[in-house]
Amino acid sequence: MNLTPDSNVLIQGLSEFISATHVAQMKGYGTNLVAVVHPGWVGQQMYDLPVFDLVEEVVTKFDRVETTLISVHPDQVLDAALEAIAANIRQMIIISAGVPPLDMVRLFREAENREVLIVGPNSSGIIIPGKMLLGTQPQEFYTPGNVGIVSRSSTLTYEVAWELTKAGLGQSISVGIGSDAVAGSSFIQWLQILDEDEGTAAIVLVGQPGGESEEAAAQYIAEAIDKPVVAYITGKYASASKSVDGMGNFSTIVGRAANFGTAQRKLAAFHAAGVPVAERPSQIPELLKKIIH
Amino acid sequence: MDLLEYQMKEWFHQIGIPVLPSQRIDHPTDLKQLKISYPIVLKSQVSRTDREKVGGVKIVETTIDAIAAAQNMFNLPIWGELPEVLLAESKYNSQAELYLAVVLDTALCRPVLLGGKEPNNYDDSKRENMSYVVVEKEFSPFYARRLGWKMGLKGTLMQSIGDIVEKMYHLFIQKDLDFVEINPLAIHNSGQVMALNGRVRINERAINRHPEIANLAHKVANRDYKNQINTTFDNWDSLDMLGKIGILGYGTGSLLATLDLIVDFGGTPGVCLNLRHSLATDIHPSSFCERLERGLHILTTQKNMQVILINFVGSVPQIGQIPEAIAKFIQFQRSESNKGSKTKHDTCFPRLIVRLLGAEFNIAKKYLATIKAPNEALTLVDDLDEAVAETVRLAKLPILKK
Repeated sequence: MNLTPDSNVLIQGLSEFISATHVAQMKGYGTNLVAVVHPGWVGQQMYDLPVFDLVEEVVTKFDRVETTLISVHPDQVLDAALEAIAANIRQMIIISAGVPPLDMVRLFREAENREVLIVGPNSSGIIIPGKMLLGTQPQEFYTPGNVGIVSRSSTLTYEVAWELTKAGLGQSISVGIGSDAVAGSSFIQWLQILDEDEGTAAIVLVGQPGGESEEAAAQYIAEAIDKPVVAYITGKYASASKSVDGMGNFSTIVGRAANFGTAQRKLAAFHAAGVPVAERPSQIPELLKKIIH
Repeated sequence: MDLLEYQMKEWFHQIGIPVLPSQRIDHPTDLKQLKISYPIVLKSQVSRTDREKVGGVKIVETTIDAIAAAQNMFNLPIWGELPEVLLAESKYNSQAELYLAVVLDTALCRPVLLGGKEPNNYDDSKRENMSYVVVEKEFSPFYARRLGWKMGLKGTLMQSIGDIVEKMYHLFIQKDLDFVEINPLAIHNSGQVMALNGRVRINERAINRHPEIANLAHKVANRDYKNQINTTFDNWDSLDMLGKIGILGYGTGSLLATLDLIVDFGGTPGVCLNLRHSLATDIHPSSFCERLERGLHILTTQKNMQVILINFVGSVPQIGQIPEAIAKFIQFQRSESNKGSKTKHDTCFPRLIVRLLGAEFNIAKKYLATIKAPNEALTLVDDLDEAVAETVRLAKLPILKK
């Protein structure tokens, strides 16, 4: 992923998922937001940005539009993303929540063929404290440093960042990959990026019940990650509920373990991989300080 | 949302999956105008599929028997659910039965075709007998034929199974399903196949873009809503754990983290509500403040609820209205306790712990600090661990009598 601050960024869609405060914050952070695409509103100004009908218009008017932030209505995410891909945009962060999963399946098939990186849906985006902000992460909890955070949550990520900041541990990159069962970029992709990133000395992984991306990440850490990692998994006392059941509910059919998707299964995977696991957010800095050399 | 059997079979019929001749029965007397021939099977239309052993399925030979049986079935709750409709269906003798399904595998992010050489009774030990094909790229009928081949089918049977699976796949995509299964698919010696039963689950997020499904969903939701106004949280992103401490959070991860902390600090969590989104299926879309007010009300009406912990991080919509919502709640509690209701003296008013992290909450916090609430009815705490410790401590104090 290209995260250099000099590339241009586009917003697709004006909706509840992105507010004036978010846009102002990104601008204040130096993100080169160049335009908003909102069909039918061409010629207007929104959040002090010019509005266009089509992504194509934006890429002909501005050079190096490399990233789009998608915040259209969830039913229109697939169309917006396909439009961005057709205009040769190769990085997208989908902020919208509630995208129908079969739309994402179609998008992934297209993205794989064209080598497009998708973060989200239901993602709070990426922040490089002090340098760059793509998305809705609140900067106030962050401070520049060398701890990378990759998380499926949004508000819990801010909690974790705040605990690190309070303990004097700044952050290199924080990314919210989104909590949907059917998600674009994975823990593994981001572990790889953070492992290669020179500014990152240690990694915090924040997971939650549902799916098995944490388990895959635990195995990957044991096999391929040299930097120290601390994991924090929520939901260990949550009884199985529909919010958890929303994912991997075919476990009984497809031949998966009965505890598929539970925090317990994820915790066991990290223990087996020898990854230290924090019991609560405030314990993360403690564990990090023990393993950062 | 799961379809009822008769709704599912209408869909199967429309897309060309063979189903038995059947008729929807809204009232026992409908059986006098039956267009299918006896013997017939009467089936109670409820959401649970395991209805046979509890009287949800009856075979009848005559109209008189059928009406009597139907009267019975309309008054017989199946696992607590009373049917509004029965299905009258021709009886069928199958020689062999198979299992077929199309599901979205959330780990692979791809649809998966599944097939078994016997009906699926969801017995763990028989899982290995299931064949599957991952639909990696754009669907093409060969995926369905490959499933038939993997199941060990040959020749015309492989082709007719492949044909059914293809139709199931199209239904799956067209209607935005989580899964569709035929269980069992009967096979006759003549080679004829017949979908005897199955399940169809519609993805909640896509309900509103299919008008006919949205109609169905709203009917179901309206019925639930009328039955349990105000105290229901069935439509919420929630957890119900029976303890003394309620949690109102914003975001799943943050809510779960708070819940875990409560247990780690020795408390017992009760109902926990995520105020982040109103769900797609909620027929009464709500603003954040409405959810906050209703959430407080729901938690207060729970038995044994002693403390409510509000934990919001970063920002929430309508941030300026939070203090009023909370002040209103405290005010309501005080006026109720002044009334001195005697009938409910064994229940209690929950105390409130409010933890708001982030500069956007500063004004709200200042306002909340000015609210006078005796008996520790309202406490503001900044640090999460401290807020949880305080919550657990208050849950152990004598209750505030109504």
